[in-house]
Amino acid sequence: MRALAATWCSAWLDAWANRRSFWTQLVVMTINDSVWVLFWILFFHRIGEVRGWDTEKMLLLFAILTTAAGIALGVFANARKVGQLAGDGELDATLTLPVDPLAHLLARRIDPSLIGDLAFGPILFALAGGPTPERIALFIVGSLCGAIVLTGFLIAAGSLTLFVGGRGEQADLAFQAALILASYPIDFFGGVTKILLFTAVPAAFISSLPAELVDSFTFQTTATLLGSAAFFSLLGIALFRLGMRRYASGAVWTRA
Amino acid sequence: MLAIEVDRLTKSFVLPSKRIVEAVRAITLSVEQGERLAYIGPNGAGKSTSIKILTGILHPTTGDAQVLGFVPWRQRKELARNIGVLFGQRSQLWFQLTPMQSYKLLGAIYGLSREELERRIDEYGSLLEAAALFDIPVRNLSLGQRMRCELTASLLHSPRVLFLDEPTIGLDLVAKQRFRELIVRLNEHKGTTVFLTSHDVSDIEQVAKRVIVINHGQIIYDDKVSVMKRSLLRTKLMEVRFDEPPGAIDIDGVQVLKSTDMGFKLSVDTEARSIKHVLDELLDRYSVGDISVLDPPLEEVISKIYETPRR
Repeated sequence: MRALAATWCSAWLDAWANRRSFWTQLVVMTINDSVWVLFWILFFHRIGEVRGWDTEKMLLLFAILTTAAGIALGVFANARKVGQLAGDGELDATLTLPVDPLAHLLARRIDPSLIGDLAFGPILFALAGGPTPERIALFIVGSLCGAIVLTGFLIAAGSLTLFVGGRGEQADLAFQAALILASYPIDFFGGVTKILLFTAVPAAFISSLPAELVDSFTFQTTATLLGSAAFFSLLGIALFRLGMRRYASGAVWTRA
Repeated sequence: MLAIEVDRLTKSFVLPSKRIVEAVRAITLSVEQGERLAYIGPNGAGKSTSIKILTGILHPTTGDAQVLGFVPWRQRKELARNIGVLFGQRSQLWFQLTPMQSYKLLGAIYGLSREELERRIDEYGSLLEAAALFDIPVRNLSLGQRMRCELTASLLHSPRVLFLDEPTIGLDLVAKQRFRELIVRLNEHKGTTVFLTSHDVSDIEQVAKRVIVINHGQIIYDDKVSVMKRSLLRTKLMEVRFDEPPGAIDIDGVQVLKSTDMGFKLSVDTEARSIKHVLDELLDRYSVGDISVLDPPLEEVISKIYETPRR
């Protein structure tokens, strides 16, 4: 744990080394998120409630999504890069250290723009999510579960690079699909698409289900969310570990 | 006692075209603790692949290996605590941070106490004459300065074996020379086993005592550097300065490589004519002012070995 904490601190120092860039990225992402909030407010103002979703519930979903994405892509920024790093043979330096390579990789890079998401989500929840002690606790649990699902899913998709080759293109597709689809309430979809959002692209577990948990708590939703978080994290770890047996390194110039 | 034992180690890669390439083919070798070994070969010979297997980065296709008693690909973490790895083309240091910040992280990773870490940073800072560089962001260091800081990073946990993969690549002559001296000093002071790959012949001559040549994934030569130079050469070089112009030099087995009015560089085929015989003839037939007998450059020796046909 001491090694992981130190790695994480170094990642913060590394991101913080260029402060202007850090703050610029953070502010731009916050503006981007604010535009989305404005869009949803105008949308529901004009259209009214859609399949049980109104402005308040939508902003709750968005607060959870930005928090979960902020953790998965901002704090554990390499979750999205595992495939690319493996494909480019850039794991060598990590593998020469006495550390768990996946944990080390996840801790070793911070993405300031997504930290903007992480700052934005809780503020949006505080302003529009009707925070009560119970809802705050559920917001934290829901966001963490969403972050774990997204992290595990991205690692699993990136680890496929170790089996099928390439430079982590699957992870880019998975990242785009998961974030875009998680931006909309699950009830907007139906049929096969809805099934896919609980399986192949687990967008439902990243935002809609956590929002459901905060809005109307049930043990079943809690268990489903915790189960999905456990499943996708284990899937990511298992695929990464299996894939590392096939890691082929590389001969590119890199900063590790 | 052996530091490295390798038995019929093979590594194959499957290319996107489905073609299978054997980067390392049934390599067997052993390295004693405290040895300074150069592991050389032309581009694509399998050197880096071998090092990556021995450091636990790659899994071999078949074969066995132990480094300090650890099987690298099964006991990677345990092994990493006991070896140092320096890739000339890879960096262990964080680009935006100072070396000191990276060392603190490495101290935490290797479980060193604060006092122990500071002591070792001081020790290597002084040994490598690099202490003044430790508080400068890595992005602002020259390549030579960075390599000294990289070497410090790879030594902080006092490794018993040091793997160096083209460590002097890109360094200027002075930096290279200093780097070689440091490696030798480390080996002599601490008994650290050195496993070095390099394309720079001077690295091999000045650092290594033993050389293994690998080509097409197979070991094609394994002996002392001095023996390699002597046994593989059937030519010697002679630099002769005459007191008066000698005219044409016509001695069996002797070829003129370069000449000025009074100075000649000759190549002697020692299988055709012994050095003693050539010297006697030169002294008998010409007025010789000065003469020296040299080994040909190591490059020539290595080129000859590289040209060995694939088995």
